[in-house]
Parts: sequence; C-alpha cells; structure tokens
Amino acid sequence: MSAVVDFPVKPEARPYLDAFGRDFSRHAREPLWLSGQRRRSLARFAELGFPSRRSEAWRYLDLRALEASPMLPAGGVRAVADAATRAQLVEVGFSEAAYSLVLVDGRYAPELSTIEGLPSGVWLGAMTSAIADRPDLVRSAIEAPLLDSARPFAALNAAFFADGFVLDIAPGVALDRPVEIVHLASGDAGGSLHTRSLVAIGAGSRASIFETFAGRGSYWRNDVIELRLAEGAEFARVALVEEAADALHFGEMLSVLGSASRLASFVLLLGGRTVRHEAMVRSEGEATHCALHGAFLLSGRQQANIVTTVDHSAPGGETREVFKGVAAGRAHGAFQGRITVRPGAQKVDAHQLSRNLVLGPRAAIDTKPELEIYADDVKCSHGAAVGDLDEAALFYLRARGIPNVEARRMLIEAFVREAVELVDSAPLREHLLSRLARRLAILEE
Amino acid sequence: MTTAVPMLEISNLHARLADGREILRGIDLAVNSGEVHAIMGPNGSGKSTLAAVLAGRDGYEVTEGTVSYLGRDLLSMAADERAREGLFLAFQYPVEIPGVNNMYFLRAALNAQRRHRGEPELDAGQFLRAVRAKLKFLDIGEDLLHRAINVGFSGGEKKRNEIFQMAMLEPRLAILDETDSGLDIDALKVVARGVNQQRAPDRAIVIITHYQRLLGYVEPDRVHVLQGGRIVESGDKNLALELERRGYGAFGDAA
Repeated sequence: MSAVVDFPVKPEARPYLDAFGRDFSRHAREPLWLSGQRRRSLARFAELGFPSRRSEAWRYLDLRALEASPMLPAGGVRAVADAATRAQLVEVGFSEAAYSLVLVDGRYAPELSTIEGLPSGVWLGAMTSAIADRPDLVRSAIEAPLLDSARPFAALNAAFFADGFVLDIAPGVALDRPVEIVHLASGDAGGSLHTRSLVAIGAGSRASIFETFAGRGSYWRNDVIELRLAEGAEFARVALVEEAADALHFGEMLSVLGSASRLASFVLLLGGRTVRHEAMVRSEGEATHCALHGAFLLSGRQQANIVTTVDHSAPGGETREVFKGVAAGRAHGAFQGRITVRPGAQKVDAHQLSRNLVLGPRAAIDTKPELEIYADDVKCSHGAAVGDLDEAALFYLRARGIPNVEARRMLIEAFVREAVELVDSAPLREHLLSRLARRLAILEE
Repeated sequence: MTTAVPMLEISNLHARLADGREILRGIDLAVNSGEVHAIMGPNGSGKSTLAAVLAGRDGYEVTEGTVSYLGRDLLSMAADERAREGLFLAFQYPVEIPGVNNMYFLRAALNAQRRHRGEPELDAGQFLRAVRAKLKFLDIGEDLLHRAINVGFSGGEKKRNEIFQMAMLEPRLAILDETDSGLDIDALKVVARGVNQQRAPDRAIVIITHYQRLLGYVEPDRVHVLQGGRIVESGDKNLALELERRGYGAFGDAA
C-alpha cells in the first residue's frame, strides 16, 4: 500500500515516508488515536526535514553521513535474545538494580527483564503494553507531547517508535529501590531504533531510574523520554551512553516540573560515533529544583553534543548545571546550555558550569552558555572553560614516578569524577566510575 | 660500613628558560651517598632552577654540561623515570590536585617504583600498614590521606606531606627545595625529624634553602653558596653560620 501524500516533503525525508507507507501494516493493530498521531508526526517530519547546520541546536553536529545514507526504522518481529545479547547485558548491567526492564533493538524483552513485585501505586512496563492495557497513562502524552515545535527527530520518533517504557507512580508513593532500564542493540537489526518512554511521578512521590544504552554493530538510536513531575515529586535519572563504536545516538529528554518538585538528571556519554543528548526542562511550578549534570569522553573521530534548555516561568526555581567535557584524538565535543527566566519568575537562582579538557591539537570542544533573563530579581551565573591538563599537576605526579600515561589518566579521571560525584546514589556512582575507568584506559591510545 | 659512592656529579651545568634567560651558569657539584649537602643562596640565584632541572621539569633548556646520577646520564631520563630510579624532589610549592585522593596517588607512585624495580605491588592492606607507621612519626593525621592531594592543606601540612611522601618512597637522592620556607618552629622541627630519620649510608640529601634555620636541626656535611647561577663557595657546616652572620653579599662577585 502506498500513502497518499498531500503535504510538502523535504528530499531527505522521502525514504522515511516511503518506509512508513510500505511497512504500515506493522501498526495495523494499534488504536486509531495512535495511528493518527503517527501520520501527523510523519507529516511534520516530512515538512521539517533534517536540521540544517544553521539550526542553532544542531550547529555542532555533522549529520551529512546520515543524510547521505538513510537509516530506515528496523522492522520485523523481535527474536528471543541470543547468547551474545545476554552476554552484553551481563557486561553493562547494574548489579544493584531491584527492577530491570530491558529493551533489545528498541523492543521490550520480557525474557531479560525483572519487573515483578512492584509496590502498589507503581506501574512499570513496556510502552506497547501501556498502549494496549493502560491507554489512560499514555494517550494524552503521546497526543500532546511536551514540545512539538520544530523538532524533526522527535517527530520522526513519534511516527516510528516501536516501544519504550512507562513508569507511572501514583501520588504519595516512594519507590526507593533503583529501577534499571537497559537499551541494547543486537547488531542484527541495523537501521534506526526509535524508542519513546514516559515517566509520570505523582504528587509527593519519589523514584529514580538508571538507563544504559549499549549495543553492537551499526545503528541509529533515536530515543525520546518525557518526564512529568507533579507537585512535590522527586525524580532522578542517570543515563549512561555506551553505544557501539559505529552507532549514532540521539537522546531527547523533555520534562515539565510542577511546584516544589525536584529533578536530578545525570548523563555520561562514553561510546558511539555521533552522540547527542538534549535535555529540555520547563519549570512551570514555583520553587522547583532542577539539577542537570553530566560529562562526555571522546576520542578517535567521535562527536558528541550536550544541549540543555531550562525555562523558568514561575518564581523561586533553582537550576544547577555542571558539565565536563573531554576530547582526545580528532574528537569534537560541544556543550550548549540555555537558561531562560521569564517575566515574573522572580527569585530564580540558576548556575551553570561547563568545563572542558582538550587533549591534543586535533581535538576540539565548543561551549556556548546562554542566559536569557527577563525578570529583575534573580541570581543567575555561568562559567565556561576549555583547556589542557594542568602541567604543574602532571609534573607533580610524574615527579613521584607515575608514568606519563597513567598520570594523565589520573588527572582526566579526577576531572570527570567531580561531575560523577554529583550523582546521589553511592552504588551507582561506583558503577559509573568503573565504566569510566574502562573507557579511560583506551582514551589516549 | 658501606663505602660512599658518587651519587650525583654535576659538571659545568648551564641552563636557561624558554625566554632565553640563562639562569645556571656553570654549576659544579659532587654529592656522595650518605651525605647531606645544603645549597644556600639569595632569591634569584638559581636554586629552584637547579632543583627543577635535576627533577626534569619542562620549560628549561640545558645548554651545556652534564649531570651523572649513580653513573647514569640523568638529563636523558624523563621526569617520571628519574623518580622511579630513586630521585625525589620535595616541592617548594606542592601542587593541589582536586579529585585525586592522596592515598590512591601515593600507592600508585609507590607501586610504579616497585614495578620498575621488579618487586611485587603492595595491596591496599599492606600499603596502609606501611603508611600508618610513617604517619605517626611525622605527626600527620590519617584524615589527610583521604583528602585530595594538598587540597585545603595548610602550608605546614603541605610540607609535611612532602616529607611523608619521601619517607614512603625511600629515595636514593632527595632534593628538598625550600622545604623550610613558611614553616613555624614546630612544623620545622617535625620536618627536620623526618629528614634526619631519612639519613642513611646509601642515601644522599640535598637541602636547598635561603636561610640557615633548618640547618640548626639538620646538620649538613657540606654547605655550598649559590650566586648568579654558580657555586661560589663551599665549606663545612660552619659556612652556613658565616653566611647568616655576614650575608650573601660577602660571597662571590654577586654578578
């Protein structure tokens, strides 16, 4: 069957449109509200096309390769996880997790997941299960995404997402045991993997998740997660990106914060050829607290981009951002952080810090902090620095006999550790530091 | 009784800064094992440059002369290799390194040297036992070990930490670059005790200092006066007292 197209289409969007028409049968059993939303999103993507380098939020990422050879959504039915995928899960898994939800090639893998025994008031499961069994949890979020302006890959995601996860917590429930979400790529599927997830934390409730993205082979992961925090809710998300050396990873995290809610986000970008993490926070209630922290470590020809936008439209909000970047070899990293304080959002207290290490003459990091302040009684500041390792510190370590390579590694680790220390959970910090050490061992090879 | 062996032999050493300024203008110095030498000189005489050149710090160019360390060409070795070969520099300004734990650092340093000598590495328990004995002797609290290197240390703590590292690494040749500067009398005594405890027949210690103060507690075998990048006078411990009395102006050509 072929789709009737009566809207403008950018040439680079054409292959995706064709794929949508060709494979539409895969969505045949979905409810009408969802297939309608998929079509509308596809039309939006077709109209937008890929972001150009003139688009501010994408200016530091080179998408020419993706534009030249489309990576169409991986199709078909997922096979039961093979030995290699299970081994991968053992390698990246977080041993302290109480609940673990695993997605392979963008689809829920029940045989690898452990989500039994959740306390009452907590719903955790696959997005496809929520659509089938609990549309009340997801329909309004899918039909009215938090941000639907000019976001081409979010639109593409909305058209094609295969699965994802949903965590929904009723008011007044504390889920203190850690929830792990693992996104694996088997290397068999190729193409693009679109996952869409939703977290809704009820008033006065509390939860935290740890997401790992890893895989084998060549693929493009396009992940969108929405976080909705009701009044007084607390939520922490840690995301570790360890994609395959030949993979692309785009992750978008959209959040809306109710009064006196607290969001803590930490991202550690270690693997993947091209990695982009974007966090958008709408602080709509009064006296919110938003902590966005993270780091990237790049070498070879890796490129990574962290983009944050925090929008304070109510008084008394607090934002803290600390991002550390490290680039070696011919890698290119970038940080873009914008904090907006709207008129009337008095007493907002926002601080942003971007510190970066460039190791060697062919690596580069761009950093671009932006404060847009339209209220007069606020406390906002930012700091940005790009530099090399401290020569005096390096000499001090070497003067004690520590070989140059090891001394450099110690200093790079210390630099990134400062950001990792901002993660609340001690076992999770240890886990991140051990993954970091593994990455550091081959950073300057 | 072991017989003294030549530890350090500097001959006609010239060195300049990256901007071309010549700081060392022909240093000659021989230090044998078992000896403690003091090199004294006013500000700008080249004391710290000499320490930096011996330790292998970047930013200095040796234009002439040789330095032999235990019979080997010291200047051809990288800074970390010199340290693994047993050369130790106590820094005039110990560097603060946020994020690197003092204990982790010291164990990495000690194990780098042990690997170099073909000895087995110390595990955390063995290391801790070795550490505790030395800490007590130098009046250093164990909490200092769990902090980042020199971060938030007082001036005295930084200097004691240098001596503590020396005690742990047990070097063949220790160069103390103005370790006495900025110390109150109690800290000075602790540092002196640490240095005296390190005196050994197979070890040499070179104390670089502006003042005679430390030499009241650590008795040198030889004292040298450094002026204008050269050693202009050498003598026994009495030379230090004479310097204190008459001032640097009485020595050399002050060029």
